[in-house]
Amino acid sequence: MVHENFGMGWRMSVDVKTEVAGQVWKIVAQIGDQLAADDVILILESMKMEIPITAPKPGKLAKLHVIEQDIVGEEQLIATLEAE
Amino acid sequence: MSWQDEIDEIKQRRDLAKQQGGEEGVAKHHAKGRQTIRERIGGLLDANSFDETGEGSGVPEYDEAGKLVDFQPANFVLGFGKIAGRKVIVGGEDFTVKGGSPNPAGLRKSVYAEQLALQYKLPLIRLHEGGGGSVGGTGQEKNHRPLGDPVFATSRFVPLAQTLGAVPVATAALGPVAGLPAARLVASHFSVMTENAAVLIAGPQVVKRALGHDLTKEQLGGPAVHLKSGAIDNLAVDEADALAQIKRFLSFVPDNAWMRPASLAPEDQIDRCEDSLATIVPKNRRQPFQMRKIIDAVVDKHMQGSSFFEMSRKYGPSLITGLARMNGHSVGVIGNDCMYYAGAMTAAAAQKLRRFVDFCNSFHLPIISFVDEPGFMIGLDSEAAGTIRHGTAAISAVLQSRVPWASVQVQKAFGVAAQAHFGPDGYVLVWPSAASGALPVEGGVAVAFAREIAAAADPAARQKELEDMLAATQSPFPRAEGFSVHEIIDPRETRPKLINWLDAALAAQTDAPGPYMTTMRP
Repeated sequence: MVHENFGMGWRMSVDVKTEVAGQVWKIVAQIGDQLAADDVILILESMKMEIPITAPKPGKLAKLHVIEQDIVGEEQLIATLEAE
Repeated sequence: MSWQDEIDEIKQRRDLAKQQGGEEGVAKHHAKGRQTIRERIGGLLDANSFDETGEGSGVPEYDEAGKLVDFQPANFVLGFGKIAGRKVIVGGEDFTVKGGSPNPAGLRKSVYAEQLALQYKLPLIRLHEGGGGSVGGTGQEKNHRPLGDPVFATSRFVPLAQTLGAVPVATAALGPVAGLPAARLVASHFSVMTENAAVLIAGPQVVKRALGHDLTKEQLGGPAVHLKSGAIDNLAVDEADALAQIKRFLSFVPDNAWMRPASLAPEDQIDRCEDSLATIVPKNRRQPFQMRKIIDAVVDKHMQGSSFFEMSRKYGPSLITGLARMNGHSVGVIGNDCMYYAGAMTAAAAQKLRRFVDFCNSFHLPIISFVDEPGFMIGLDSEAAGTIRHGTAAISAVLQSRVPWASVQVQKAFGVAAQAHFGPDGYVLVWPSAASGALPVEGGVAVAFAREIAAAADPAARQKELEDMLAATQSPFPRAEGFSVHEIIDPRETRPKLINWLDAALAAQTDAPGPYMTTMRP
């Protein structure tokens, strides 16, 4: 977690990482969406299962670091949230 | 004639010992957001219950007239105390004296901690913060005494090894812990570390010289490393939380291996049937569910939440392990977490399972296993990690287990790894969502029927057809008809069914409890 300037004053930037390796199956949230904690950002396919990657805390979805079909590894950065 | 002078000197020595590393040292320690060992012991134990051992050990300093002017205490504080009215042994390094690196009396007292616990058959709690021996030695060498311990002396690691089979051991890392204290830290059934703690074999300077890696203490051995490595079980937000977790852990275990865990007055209803259990597992097997919610719904409630106390969450996370209460009885709980590689057994999950099953057997905790096992983790990383050996060792541990065992098959039970969830003479309940077989349909069909699928006019349609056909054979109903499980149940009945079983299983334990021995494992 670092403090970053998003052009509207200093807010907290929250890294969202994946615990598991897999393939990005479906991106659910859109850039700019205001997410509550546990809201789904995207769904990975991992070991034949649909594993949701969720917001660890409330915030606005600022960046997505992957696109659909991307292969991701453990601990890879998936998205960045902008939290109060 | 009176002994008043000597009595005064005892008091003076005690007061000097309580100053620990001196006002400045203690202030420096507090400034780092850390408590002294005496404050920690005070926070852990019931009020005024600390009965210290070896308070008078240390190095005195005299003036020219032979009068005592100062006293460097042994930098390991040790003694008896009580937690929730139960007697325990507690000890820990005093970081304010020599950074916790043992001075001669401190070393003797620290080694004695395990012997005390073994002798009095009491739970042992060690609160660690400090380093190991320094290259300069302990200072003993300057006294022209024979160097080292006698060759015939018993190694200090003997009692360290023995305690794990005899009494519950809970430890905390509450600052930097390196060398010998780090080894003592992990010689435990439950360990916890604070955010600002680091657990190291050797510190940054040694690592830099030997390997050229420039890393901080935290990068080398902070919580991010050791909760995942499995060296430490749990993270604590602060020191108070670390002590609270140790107390919670102790509440589930007996004083020693010759006793069974205490059963408490139930805080919850036996026949509480949660409706959420009927819908929690999605019909679409590609969609995951939260096994922890199932565990929380089944085990006793405790205060505002659940009695489930999870241990080692970050290590081998496809497997959940923890302690809980069922109708007031203490139990070990295992579950697969399908959010993590479908719940597949990795090398780490297998080692976690084996350690947990051995722990439950050492202290007579019945085991309840919530099963959703797709099999061993596959792929190159898994092969390279030796998963097959660790997994087979875990299965051996489970099948040599001697505690009452119940399995609730929630969903998958596939492959060899499924065996790791069903103990000997176990009670087996299955949910309607259960599916069993040699291989999950999703992967197995493509392999087993490769030629047939390739030869079909519409291979994808044929694969789907075969998958549907085989999925039907994995249904739990035929297994209930064939009495290969005890019962297929409405998931809401899980709690009352398990409690009825547990009452019967506990009542049948007529042998006197004792230490657990195991054979060689794969």
